[in-house]
Amino acid sequence: MTAATTSDKRPYLGFGLGLRTDHYEEILARRPKVDWFEIISENYMVAGGKPLYYLDRIREHYPMVMHGVSMSIGGADSLDRDYLHQLKALAERVQPHWISDHLCWTGVDGKNLHDLMPLPYTEEAIQHVAKRVAEVQDYLERPFLLENVSSYVTYTRSQLSEWEFLTAVAEEADCHILLDINNIYVSAFNHGFEPREYIDRIPIERVYQFHLAGHTNHGDYIIDTHDHPVIDPVWELFAYAARRFGPVSTMIERDDNIPPLDELLTELVQAQAIAEPIYAEAAA
Amino acid sequence: MSPLRDLQRDFQRYVTQRDDAMRNQVVDTAQVSAETRLAIYADGYRLRLLEALEDTYPALKQYLGESRFTAAGLAYIDAHPSTYPSIRWFGDCMAAFLRSDASPCDEPVVAELAAFEWSLRGAFDDADQAVTTLEDIAAIPPEEWPVMHITLHPSVRRLDLQWNTTSIWNALEDGATPEPPEQGEYPTPYVIWRHELQQYFRSLPVDEAWALDQAATGMAFGDLCEGLCEWVDAEHVATRAAGFLQQWTVDGLVCAVATS
Ligand SMILES: [Fe+2]
Repeated sequence: MTAATTSDKRPYLGFGLGLRTDHYEEILARRPKVDWFEIISENYMVAGGKPLYYLDRIREHYPMVMHGVSMSIGGADSLDRDYLHQLKALAERVQPHWISDHLCWTGVDGKNLHDLMPLPYTEEAIQHVAKRVAEVQDYLERPFLLENVSSYVTYTRSQLSEWEFLTAVAEEADCHILLDINNIYVSAFNHGFEPREYIDRIPIERVYQFHLAGHTNHGDYIIDTHDHPVIDPVWELFAYAARRFGPVSTMIERDDNIPPLDELLTELVQAQAIAEPIYAEAAA
Repeated sequence: MSPLRDLQRDFQRYVTQRDDAMRNQVVDTAQVSAETRLAIYADGYRLRLLEALEDTYPALKQYLGESRFTAAGLAYIDAHPSTYPSIRWFGDCMAAFLRSDASPCDEPVVAELAAFEWSLRGAFDDADQAVTTLEDIAAIPPEEWPVMHITLHPSVRRLDLQWNTTSIWNALEDGATPEPPEQGEYPTPYVIWRHELQQYFRSLPVDEAWALDQAATGMAFGDLCEGLCEWVDAEHVATRAAGFLQQWTVDGLVCAVATS
């Protein structure tokens, strides 16, 4: 195992938002105070037209990171070369600070379920993912982050906790982590573990980005829908994470039921108001 | 076979076909049974893909109404699982599916409506390319016109529609009640394209449709004129062809003109 990435100082971009089509015009007209935008890579893997037109214009004014949903890093099929090629070409265009995807699989035998399917927490899966991350990092030649997903099932064959699995993969693959605070909350609720213990076990230096999002509570279980505001317990967990990890680039992830831009900006200010005093106190 | 691949196959079969093999690979809890937990994935799968279809086929959804659209969508999802990294392409076989025996809709107009919407969707994000201007055309010396040929913009698509599909689409787009489907005596040719960031479509007279199809394959202007004699008097044919070329250029259908 190399220590190359662990000795690097973690880049810090500040407070960002997911770029959504509903807000394109307003972003260009108003240039809101957002430190950076995260794009869904697949939405811009097209030949031309509006998506790339707005992407290029907004990129002129804001730093960006790329976030993918279809790499299937844990999938049993071999990596999709054509997909990686398109991803790299898009990265050439966007010049993102980093590229992320999810610690999951999305389909097998050439199919795509368009979902973030959980992996079994086994040694086999750790080795499988780590080998593929190495391939991806070699090919993309950019910092690569894996995100923890929300999950609704526990496999009987899992031998580790989710945080042990995530940590083992990141260490074995020598990659960075995108820690989704809401996903930790959702999975903790669904599987009955202590979310703070999860946060306490993640290696500090590997975490490059936080996601904050809302979800749908069905009483007995929670579904990670990204269609609601961030709830108070998730804000509290975020404060807890800010204390442990220090300044980590943070963004609000809203994928559905997209509100006016101002509403997301208010949530972003809230994130800032929570984290900055914590960062300042730690620095003093 | 790796245990990881086995697990993924079992889970995928559960999600797509509700196959049972996953049931005992997932832990029950006091609060939530394994069935309920697994169902979150299977239900989410169908909902997500249905949403993608609604996104691509808004007029089709309005035309069919919620329940008929859902029935058609679910049948499509079962028949055509996605193989694309981007969900944007998921609906690519919808028109063909609606034309097939597997479709729960027996109205032929719905397949045409789907084909039309898919073409609009395609024109939306097809490649960008600078368009040719009338000045570019005027710069070609008259003696070279017979060998002149054009390249169409990547977003240009042609459809021949049997039904009053575009009237239905227009009405749905305006939130009005569409007229009942009506089959024309002959199919009407249409061209669909994007100019700058906007998609357009219009119907074409038969001779123009023929000329556009030939021009798309690189046929020279002189040969186009000759072919148009099937519809137009020889003395008017050059004017007719030049008129097409001018219209295509002004509309942004042309992105290169060459004489070699
Ligand atoms: Fe996330």
